[in-house]
Formats: sequence, C-alpha cells, structure tokens
Amino acid sequence: MLAGRAGLRPILAPAITLVALLLLWEAADRVFHFNVILLPSPSEIAVAAYENFGRLLKETGITMFESVMGFLLGSGAAFLLAIVFVHSRLTQEAVYPYAVALKSTPLIAIAPLLVLWFGNGVLSKIVMSALVAFFPVLVNAVNGLTAVDPEALDLMKSLSASRFQVLLKIRIPNAAGYIFAALKIASSLAVVGAVIGEFTGASVGVGHLINTSSYYLDIPLMFAAIGMISLGGILFFATTALVERRVVFWSATV
Amino acid sequence: MIVLQDIGKCYTSANGPLQALEKVTLSVADGEFVSIIGPSGCGKSTLIKIVGDILEPSHGSVTVNGFSSRQARLKGMFSYVFQNPVLLPWRRVIDNLKLPLEILHRPGRPLADLLDMVGLRGSERLYPRELSGGMQQRVALARALSFDPAVLLLDEPFGAVDELTRNTLNEELLRVWRETRVTVLLITHSIAEAIHLADRVVLLSKRPAIVKQVYDVPFPRPRDKALKESPPFQEMVRCLREELD
Repeated sequence: MLAGRAGLRPILAPAITLVALLLLWEAADRVFHFNVILLPSPSEIAVAAYENFGRLLKETGITMFESVMGFLLGSGAAFLLAIVFVHSRLTQEAVYPYAVALKSTPLIAIAPLLVLWFGNGVLSKIVMSALVAFFPVLVNAVNGLTAVDPEALDLMKSLSASRFQVLLKIRIPNAAGYIFAALKIASSLAVVGAVIGEFTGASVGVGHLINTSSYYLDIPLMFAAIGMISLGGILFFATTALVERRVVFWSATV
Repeated sequence: MIVLQDIGKCYTSANGPLQALEKVTLSVADGEFVSIIGPSGCGKSTLIKIVGDILEPSHGSVTVNGFSSRQARLKGMFSYVFQNPVLLPWRRVIDNLKLPLEILHRPGRPLADLLDMVGLRGSERLYPRELSGGMQQRVALARALSFDPAVLLLDEPFGAVDELTRNTLNEELLRVWRETRVTVLLITHSIAEAIHLADRVVLLSKRPAIVKQVYDVPFPRPRDKALKESPPFQEMVRCLREELD
C-alpha cells in the first residue's frame, strides 16, 4: 500500500521532512545546548534507544499486545451489539443512549477503577483498550447495517429472504466500509487506552517505562519510548488500512 | 392468471392520510405482457409492489393462479427489476446473478444461457462498477430471470438509461419474453415503449388511481424498431398522450 502509483514519492517526501527536522533539531542543540533533562538531542535519544533496545522492544511489545487484544475484543463486541440493535429496535432504544453517554465519559476518569477491578497486570489495560475501541465501531456499525439501499431490501423481500440472509448478504457487506472507517480510529484509540492504563498502575509496558524514566530523569530513554510506541501505533493503523483495502475492495473511497 | 380485485392503498403522511390507489381492478393472463402508464405520482410503483407483496394493500386482493400474492411470493413466483439496477458492488456479475438462487435454494437456469440471453458473455468476472448503466441493467434483468419466475415485475427499468440503450434493451426484453413466456407487468413513463412492448396498455387515472382505460395493442409480433415510425403506431401514441393529459 505504501508504493502508490506515483512511485516512491509518497514515501520519500515525508521521509525527507523527518530527516530535515531531526537535523535542524540536532543543529539547534549543538548551538544552544538545551538541557538534556528538558529536551535531549536526537543523537542522545538514539544512543539511549540503542543501549536499551531489548527493553524498549519488550515493553512496546507488551503495550501493543494489550492494544491489539483490546481492539479485537472491543470492536468484536461492538459489531455483535450493533447486529442486536439492528434486529431489535427496543434493545437499541433502551441501550444506545447509555452507550453514547459512556462514549462521552473521559476514559481516564475510570482508569483507576479498572486497575482496581482487573488488577495491575495486562488485563486492566486490555479492558481499557477494548472500551475505547468499542464506541466508534458501535456507532459506525449501526449506521452501516442500517443505511442499506431500500430497493435492495425490496429485492430481498421479493425473494422472501430471511432476516439472517439479509444480514449476511446485504447488511454486513454494506456496513464493512463504515466499520473499517471506525476500526482505523479504534486502532489508534486502543493504543492510547493501553498507555493510559499503564500510567494508572502497571509494572510493565511502555506507559510504565515512560513513568519510571521520568522519575529517574532519564529523558532520552523517555523520548525513545515515546518514539517506539508512536511507531507501534502507526504500524497498527497501517495494518488496519491495508486489511481495509483487501476487504472493502469495491469502495471508491478506500 | 393474475387478478387484482379492488386494490386500494392509503398512506399516512405528515399532512394526514394520502389515498394513492382508489380501486384498481385488472386481470393479466399467463404469458401476457401488460404495460401500465399513468400520470406522475399516481401510484404505479405502489401498485406493482402490491402485486409482488412487497407492500400490503389497504383493501382489495391479489391472486396469482389461485394463490394469494403472499403465497406466490413465498413460492418465488415474482421477480423484480427496478429503475436502479440494485446490484451488489462486492459481487462479480456472475455472483450477482446467483443471488436469487442462493436465497431460494433453486438450481435455476444454467448461468451460461442466462449470460447469452442478455449478451453478457465475457463480462461475468467483472464487478458492477466496471459496467455501463445499460450493462448493469442487463445484469439486473438476467438476475430477475435466473430462477425462472412466473411473473416479471418491471418498475421503470429503463428510465435511467439513454435513448439508444433503451431501444436495445427493449429489443432484448422482447426477445427474452418470447423465449421464456414469462408474464410481464411493466411500468413506464414512455408511451411509445408501453405500446411497442405490450399486448395491452393499462392507463391509470391521477391519484387516487383507478383503471381509466385498457387498450389492446393491435400490432402483430414480432415487432421491430420500424414499427415505431409507422403512422398507426404514432396515432396510438398521440391518442394515449391525450388521454394521459
């Protein structure tokens, strides 16, 4: 997906921007000698990343595992609930307002509660990730399953198709585009959820590493950790977008 | 034999009840081709949806060979073509054709015959977006015929294609009808199309609709494009247009 029709340009152009910014930053540091506790130079960060590479990889791996598990759980549950909503108006009317209300609750507010309930380990982070991934997928899945061409429904009715056949052959494929739009958002949010969970209480993960390196004023390591998890988030998003292109191949907007 | 007895349909709209159909009585013989014309908004689409049991009438009844329209629908006797082709964009042409067969669990017509019938041979692996509007409508027609329905309900099927394509599709529809002997109910805005294709043309009044007049089309079959240029044909078009206005 990265090598588009314009050849290497879509990769090269932003890469050059990045290198230029890093060089500028490095040069500014050589001239102004920023305090390493406030803003380490790219080379200092690179050294820290090199020296702690094994640890960075392990902690990032844990956080990404939490994110992906939470993402799968949250979006899977949202998809199933959306199917229930579409087939039972009463359930939708009774439950949907609370789903929307919960969506507006800042997740960070309930993070300590989740750690209390699900412990200091990976489970509380997975739950947190799942919660943030849940709502965008729920909303879009409901929209996509409902926004079906009325004539397609007439066609199915003229064939006396069952609700299950309509769901399988019309509604779900129709919703796929909507759902993937939400999954891309959810993939980023899931990482945010996991890191917030780790900030709140954890003994492993990138969030924990960022916290401890801030206590020890090891700011280059902190930057390296931020860089790693940002890279993880980007990879997660790109993978979701790649799967989207494969699955929703008929959509012009993908 | 399709028998429509005193069909009426009342909608509830924001401005109170809306009477779309007053009392429509009509019978259509097996294998007959009947066109229905009428002023815009007179309830033609509503009527054809009631025939196929997509909508329920407020009063009156439809029977098809002695079955109620519900029974007939459950037996898979009806087939629709709408103004839009309503193809599933995630399915190839061939898989769009198979949709009714998957739902009805019927073997249906051989797909190769079907493709030949509407001139789609060679396009079966394409996706709908790769086809022109006329080709998409051909797929819709082939899909409608795939399971050998008893009644073909056509709701302005060629309303969205250009004149030239429309003429070609008309010719193909006639040929397909000759080959399958399916009973056809066609709704159209084009008086010439209505006459050219049908055994009888039913003229509905403005809302709330009743059957204003039924015309037998006297022209022998097979009919070709040249017929449309002939003075008797044009006289009939003129006559119907006056009645419609």
